Amino acid sequence: MIVHQFVPTLEPGAVGAHTLMVRDVLRAAGHTSEVFASEIEPVWADRGAHLLRDARTRADVIVYQMAIGSIVGDAVLARDEPIVVNHHNLTPMRYITGWQPVAAHGVAWGRAQLRELATRSRLGVADSSYNEQDLMEAGFTRTTVVPILLDLTSFDVTPAPGPAPRGVTWLFVGRLAPNKAQHDIVKAFAAYRQFHNADAHLNLVGGGREDGYARTLQRFIHALGLDDAVTITGSVSDAQLAAHYAAADVFVVCSEHEGFCVPLLESMYHRVPIVAYAATAVPETLGEAGLLLDVKDPCTVAAAVDRVVGDTALRHQLVEAGARRVQDFDLSRTGPAFVEAVTSAAGN
Amino acid sequence: MTDEYVDIHKLAAEIEAEVRARRAAGEYPPGFERELDRLFDRFAPPEVSNDFDAALERAEDLVIVDPVIPVASNSPVLGVVKRVVSKLLGWYHVWLAQQISALSTAINTALRLLGGRVVELEHITGDVARARGVGARTPARRDDSAWNDIVVAALRGVSGRVAVLECGEGALLEALTGAGLDAYGVEPRAIVADVALARGLEVRIDDGAAHLHAVGAAALGGLVLRGLVERAPLGELLLLIDAASAKLAPGGRLVVCSLRREAWGDNETAAEADLVAGRPLHPDTWNAVLPEQGFVDVQVHAAGAGAYVVAALRADE
Repeated sequence: MIVHQFVPTLEPGAVGAHTLMVRDVLRAAGHTSEVFASEIEPVWADRGAHLLRDARTRADVIVYQMAIGSIVGDAVLARDEPIVVNHHNLTPMRYITGWQPVAAHGVAWGRAQLRELATRSRLGVADSSYNEQDLMEAGFTRTTVVPILLDLTSFDVTPAPGPAPRGVTWLFVGRLAPNKAQHDIVKAFAAYRQFHNADAHLNLVGGGREDGYARTLQRFIHALGLDDAVTITGSVSDAQLAAHYAAADVFVVCSEHEGFCVPLLESMYHRVPIVAYAATAVPETLGEAGLLLDVKDPCTVAAAVDRVVGDTALRHQLVEAGARRVQDFDLSRTGPAFVEAVTSAAGN
Repeated sequence: MTDEYVDIHKLAAEIEAEVRARRAAGEYPPGFERELDRLFDRFAPPEVSNDFDAALERAEDLVIVDPVIPVASNSPVLGVVKRVVSKLLGWYHVWLAQQISALSTAINTALRLLGGRVVELEHITGDVARARGVGARTPARRDDSAWNDIVVAALRGVSGRVAVLECGEGALLEALTGAGLDAYGVEPRAIVADVALARGLEVRIDDGAAHLHAVGAAALGGLVLRGLVERAPLGELLLLIDAASAKLAPGGRLVVCSLRREAWGDNETAAEADLVAGRPLHPDTWNAVLPEQGFVDVQVHAAGAGAYVVAALRADE
């Protein structure tokens, strides 16, 4: 069977890595599969993907990797093969307008395209039940959930040499964005420094350092007098990321909106205990492998971190639960499920 | 150190309770968390902070569109291409930019005029919004002892969380938790909420209606409306009842605690009553309103001479 994928931009990140993994899994299952994108980031120019203009051959099924409005969505709609939409969630507008007016256009466009795709698609595949709800609200009548495809062994990277640990180290990994609420992590961290451990350090790892939200965050950190205690790293290499996980005592999530949250899996894999605010897809991805809080006021998050860091047995329990939980996302389980879902759409 | 398997759900609840107890014991300075919120809001853009004047100023800053086509490039060839395109299309860009700027300026001017008219309207009507804001911030004590027993009896056996909007200094909330209910309070007046927090109660400092709208659908087993039902104008009250219907699970209980009209505005509610647009409903009005919004078994109880309690059941779907 020929299964081609379309993605707006092929770039390093959760959706890009998933797209390539889907291609590899489809090929390993004996299918013919290529990836087409309107843009391919130069660092991934050698990954064997093609530009949209080269998508001339017919497929039995096409898979559209959906995360934002794009001309690629229109190109997919213009084709007559059966469509499967693999939905990675569109950030709600309330987290974008005010911070990223330009991105708001892409999200609004994406919502409109998703509704249109619902009328044409054979199947909607969501990477979480939370995202599946989004598909159903857009009008998809047939949906299923298959987690993001990840090769867990890709997390096995030799850590880059890093600075010596400075006190208890908090970590969050994710693009600096209002829906990921790094400002709430900073608030909780400020409470932790004040009431529990004055030597603690926070590493916020992820791109987006040039955006308005990041500038606000930096001013906030400065006003709190935490310039020396909080590091905003920007994008990092795999080796640097591994070093941050190796140095972390706790992974803290205060996100208000996550469609899946891959860094939770990275954290489990690297045996870093997790404290997370229970919002959107976070509880589903985390399962029992972290301390989930119903509230995220700074003092509660700080107290939860203090408990996890200070209680060796609890820490061990969370780390072991994480190590088990992450295996649920092993490619040997998710890959066949994805192939089955996609190929089933061809014959309907 | 923990020696055995820990139920992490219980642990999370324990930690939340521990933080409440530490707040009550004064270990966290009052206002510490609010100060963090305020500090972040200071740096957030006006579009996020909901300040009309600041948002308008920001729009005015952006109103003029730059007609100059950027030609800088890391690639010499691309730089040449951009300059050629700029030469060829510069006039068109200027023409477009002028029209967009003119439209933006006109919209901005209209917005400023509209803002001015709203301010004028507020002045003419006695600046209802401002007075209401002051009214909503004015501590107004209510004697919970008048309705505590009725409310506890009405909610007995409820499963799931019970929200008390607004909880005031927490006497009713304390009675509910004392009766074994999983109750928490919401109180917009920080100075009043601090009294409830000091009693070791779980209290969110938030606007009651805003909190209810943020709660998940069918997430509550019980809901007590207190204080804000007397203050809210009719339109807001109806929206509040809509929200209550959506946020209560089927079979959940709604309880309304209210002063009677004749008692409203006396003594400790005087300033509040003078400043806000709402007034308490007659008890019988709830009998007319609640069944329209999916409530059944509406019962009105007198709570002394000056107050009443309405209890109703959220109907099954």
